[in-house]
Amino acid sequence: MTMRRLTELRGGRIYDPANGIDGERRSLFIDDNGYLAAPPRSPAGIKETLDLEGCVVMAGGIDIHTHIGGGKVNLARMMLPEEHLASLVDRTRHPWPGSGIATPSTLTAGYRYAEMGYTACFEPAMLPSNAREAHMELADTPIVDKGAYALLGNDDFLLRRLADGASDSEIADYIAWTLHATQALAIKVVNPGGINAFKFNQRKLDLDEENTAYGVTPRQILLSLARNLNRLGVSHPLHIHGCNLGVPGNVHTTLATIAGLEGLPAHLTHVQFHSYGTEGDRKFSSGALAVAEAVNRAPNISMDVGQIMFGQTVTESGDSMRQHAGSAFASPRKSVLMDIECDAGCGVVPFRYRDRNFVNALQWIIGLELFLGVSDPWRIFLTTDHPNGAPFTSYPHLIRLLMDRAFRQDMLATLLPEAVAASHLGSLDREYSLYEIAILTRAGPARSLGLNTLGHLGIGARADIAVYRDHPDRERMFSSARYVFKNGQIVVKEGRVVATPNGATHVTRADYDAGITRTLDDYHARFMSVRRRNLMVSDAEIEDLGGSPLCLHPVRRQA
Amino acid sequence: MPQALAPSSPLASEQADIACPFCGLLCDDLEMSEALSPKQPPHRACPRAQLGYTAAELTGNPGIAGKPADFEAALSAAIRLLRASKRPLFSGLGSDVQGLRALFKLAERCGAVVDHMHSGALNSSLRVLQSLGWHTTTLGEVQNRADLVVILGVDLDRGFPRFLARHVAGQDALQPARRAQRRVIYLGPKAHAPTCPAELPLEVLPTPTARLAESLRTLQGLLQGIPLPRTGKAAALAPLAARIKAAEYPVFVWAPGQLPATVSDLVIGAACELVAQINRTRRAAGLALGGDDGAQSALAVSAWLTGFGTGVGFSRGALKPQGELGGSAAALAEGGCDLILHLSSFGPAHLPAADKPRIVLAPPGFAPREAPDVYLPIGIPGVDHPGQLIRTDGVVALPLRALRPARHPSAASVLRQLFAALERKS
Repeated sequence: MTMRRLTELRGGRIYDPANGIDGERRSLFIDDNGYLAAPPRSPAGIKETLDLEGCVVMAGGIDIHTHIGGGKVNLARMMLPEEHLASLVDRTRHPWPGSGIATPSTLTAGYRYAEMGYTACFEPAMLPSNAREAHMELADTPIVDKGAYALLGNDDFLLRRLADGASDSEIADYIAWTLHATQALAIKVVNPGGINAFKFNQRKLDLDEENTAYGVTPRQILLSLARNLNRLGVSHPLHIHGCNLGVPGNVHTTLATIAGLEGLPAHLTHVQFHSYGTEGDRKFSSGALAVAEAVNRAPNISMDVGQIMFGQTVTESGDSMRQHAGSAFASPRKSVLMDIECDAGCGVVPFRYRDRNFVNALQWIIGLELFLGVSDPWRIFLTTDHPNGAPFTSYPHLIRLLMDRAFRQDMLATLLPEAVAASHLGSLDREYSLYEIAILTRAGPARSLGLNTLGHLGIGARADIAVYRDHPDRERMFSSARYVFKNGQIVVKEGRVVATPNGATHVTRADYDAGITRTLDDYHARFMSVRRRNLMVSDAEIEDLGGSPLCLHPVRRQA
Repeated sequence: MPQALAPSSPLASEQADIACPFCGLLCDDLEMSEALSPKQPPHRACPRAQLGYTAAELTGNPGIAGKPADFEAALSAAIRLLRASKRPLFSGLGSDVQGLRALFKLAERCGAVVDHMHSGALNSSLRVLQSLGWHTTTLGEVQNRADLVVILGVDLDRGFPRFLARHVAGQDALQPARRAQRRVIYLGPKAHAPTCPAELPLEVLPTPTARLAESLRTLQGLLQGIPLPRTGKAAALAPLAARIKAAEYPVFVWAPGQLPATVSDLVIGAACELVAQINRTRRAAGLALGGDDGAQSALAVSAWLTGFGTGVGFSRGALKPQGELGGSAAALAEGGCDLILHLSSFGPAHLPAADKPRIVLAPPGFAPREAPDVYLPIGIPGVDHPGQLIRTDGVVALPLRALRPARHPSAASVLRQLFAALERKS
């Protein structure tokens, strides 16, 4: 057997929460296959050494919720030439030109994520009818690994079957078929039943309110999907964008949703947008404390925040019901809405968050209150719901807000005083540690998504590694990595992209009964505009046409 | 040679659920029981598709200045032209997603200006999108949810022959009551009124194209309850306004590519405003038909690769948004470009009129009449090789399958060879 020759990363401080390593100085060894290896028996086994003295070393970052590919993202790009004209990037900066900040072109998005030390990004809202197109965009997002969550819960098929009292095994088969057909890693539900109800002109749908066409409630949809995902053994639990996004008083819906899940594993996304009370003169207040407490008490629940930042962005969502309502606040004043294929919908509304606006200032505060109020860092993930709260490029700034109390107070002091007075953020002293940041941005998302070889630096992990020069200004530190390794290859050096390999596409597969295929063949031939088999995205389309190797994650076990 | 497939062959199932690449609807229910031939186009192929499948039967040789050449020689000639060019125009852009990806990569390498043959129509839509936005729907929603379909001057028979039969007239719908009530109203020049399937009641309201936008404004007024004259135009439209008011999901259908440039922005804008107005209290949606010749794919690929939907150029490693080219490829070619590379996979190649050297990539059945400086025959996605195209609604993309052994290389592979050659010797 020939001796494997390893690359040694020496002298850096390692933050690897999945393996309990908190800032120890130790070496990492990368083998020729791009995985982390045990130290060699003799120095002869080392072909190259990189000195990382003064550096912080973490696994590559993982964004568990970022809208970077798919129809609504592309609509946003087309709709906003002003944003793209103002942010052209040429080859002096990146290996290929591009544009955009809130809606970057795909290559630009991949490069920027890599520059920040991120090596995997997950598109959270892939409509089954749009899956092929979404994967095309993800295929053209270089360097990072990617994956997507398929949307269910507003499709007429599921609502009809639930209304007809379908068995759990049929729903589980349908979920498993959808994961397979759309090459998805997880299942997401957006405003359960609400997007569908909006097509029948319902303008809101509370947790126990019936969809007029099918008589099904959001609670039924949530429970059915959460229960059957659990039954299938899919790693990432149901990814929930709840009812009443952005509606003052929706904190009650959120609390009822948490309680209503009856202990089933679930992930609540962009919870900031779902933590609003109605206290005070302006009938808008923070519900963050109550939500954080409920999450702390419910070990079955994880969440991400969807922090907002002040400035121009664009909101993109499958939630056509709420986006239609939000279009009244569009800035600039234009919006795109779509009803889509008896499947779901979408809405794209440009928006400017203003620090002198009471509601916006409080939204900023609520996000941070959630971060500081949820005690278990393994159950909360760092997101801005890119680009809905802010572009992902604001992550370094957000990390500084979490790690640096004085900086946070300084920022808070610049906001509209009435909003500051309405919050208790100023009294929260918590500061996140580097170890905890590594959980929020690496170890936690990997564990939740079931990505065994990502998000950590143990032996056998993929050598997706971010190296940052330690600096007290954490924003500066996390903005630009000194080195980023992807599968052991250096892709970023001193904050500059130096190589652009294609990342993998992560998918999960569970077995399903062939009966569901026959049912869907008939359903599609009778009612839909696309045949069932043409809806399915083949492995060859991902691997050969998309150039992205598939990384299959089996389910835990099937009941 | 095309292979005849026995029913028991493992490939036999490939001969059902075939997606047709010859218009933006991408109907995917075509079937073949025998090998593809001019006498045997796939079952359910519409007249437009039949023309496409017939043209697909022609074979041809690469050419240099009208003389047959072998592929390598033609490729070398194309490389020489590209290398000598300071600013080529990549026009046509009729290709699948793979071809378009390769084209953009080559365009960046060459510092080319990129312009789709239907960019005039695409730009009309984009101007409305970028100034106002819209609320649209998809073919599957129309099939199941629409109880009223208002066609705004679209010549369906010419442009989208199966739209009504496949997406409006079908008997099955998830909402049977909506289907039972469904009416189709055609508002436009009488000559373009569609031939309606017998089971679908059609009402024609003759309106010159030039007055479509005005009619839509009148409808807006009528729906808002603004007092309008009881005679003339407003009176004629009052019954339609009442229909719209009574409908639960009216869908307004337009085709940007069929509207004259002088009125297209106005018609699309007025239709989108009407839909937005209805949606304040009730439901309605728009549907744009178009996306022929890979236009929807070109728009999408351009948007995700560059951030701009149409009218992009590259120069020295930077993006050069050209603003609204609006079908001005010809003018641009005369003004700023010194070479044309034209790509057309799904229909006859109509080159921009310009006195410049020309490289054409097209299937032999779609090659230009006048021989270009270099002609490279390519296969048709969905006939000769697999591929992907995005449908008119911009949401659904269809897989295209090879229906026979490829007779010519794909556009993507030719463009990649050009790119590789330019990289090698620079």
